[in-house]
Amino acid sequence: MTKRILALCRQAPYGNALAREGLEAVLAAAAMDQVADLLFCGDGVFQLLPEQSPAGIGQKSLQRNLQALPLFGVEQAYVCTKSLAQRGLDLEALSQGQLPLVPVDDSAALIATYDSVLSF
Amino acid sequence: MKFSLAVYSAPHSSQAAASALRFARALLREGHQLYRVFFYCDGVHNGSSLSAPPQDETDLLAGWQALQQQHQLDLVVCIAAAQRRGVLSDSEASRLEKPAANLAAGFELAGLGQLADAVAQSDRLVTFGG
Repeated sequence: MTKRILALCRQAPYGNALAREGLEAVLAAAAMDQVADLLFCGDGVFQLLPEQSPAGIGQKSLQRNLQALPLFGVEQAYVCTKSLAQRGLDLEALSQGQLPLVPVDDSAALIATYDSVLSF
Repeated sequence: MKFSLAVYSAPHSSQAAASALRFARALLREGHQLYRVFFYCDGVHNGSSLSAPPQDETDLLAGWQALQQQHQLDLVVCIAAAQRRGVLSDSEASRLEKPAANLAAGFELAGLGQLADAVAQSDRLVTFGG
């Protein structure tokens, strides 16, 4: 039986390397046919904001990594609605690229349905 | 039960790396199996042979190496994260034309596939730091 794997994306996009390296780990796992679902929560929801231009602080944009997810079989990503509300954001404010975003009210219940959780 | 650990924090910066080592010791003592320890992000610094903490502080590197020898542990340092942060094996140092290598004995460099494999093969993945 294939394990159901969830990757938590908890970090703001450029303040901590874990945001980028987490997505890299998800892509590497997907390349090995272990496709994880993603849940953006906490400051991780900032990764989904459109029109990021991190070149000004000498960083590469994370958007390319996010856009690569569907090519590796990641069909959708969950977004914690509480985390959005706490930060004054809503689903419409987020980048609606090729990765459909699914709002989740009860993150704990979602996490409990998975066999393994990667926390980034 | 079969465990794997993911370590994301540098030694001596936060408690996470020390907690990972203590957790590894405890689970082995309880008769569980440790499939792999994967060092990622700042956790790659755990695999540096050059750390030299003061004598009255815990030497985490010596702790990992002793546990590795005792239980033939698979201590894997992510190669991409390690290159960014300057943890290099002899072969990587010469390939990248760097003046020194510092990957500690008992550790090996490997790709992110080893984390995915650890998830697939283990009953539990426990993450420290980040």
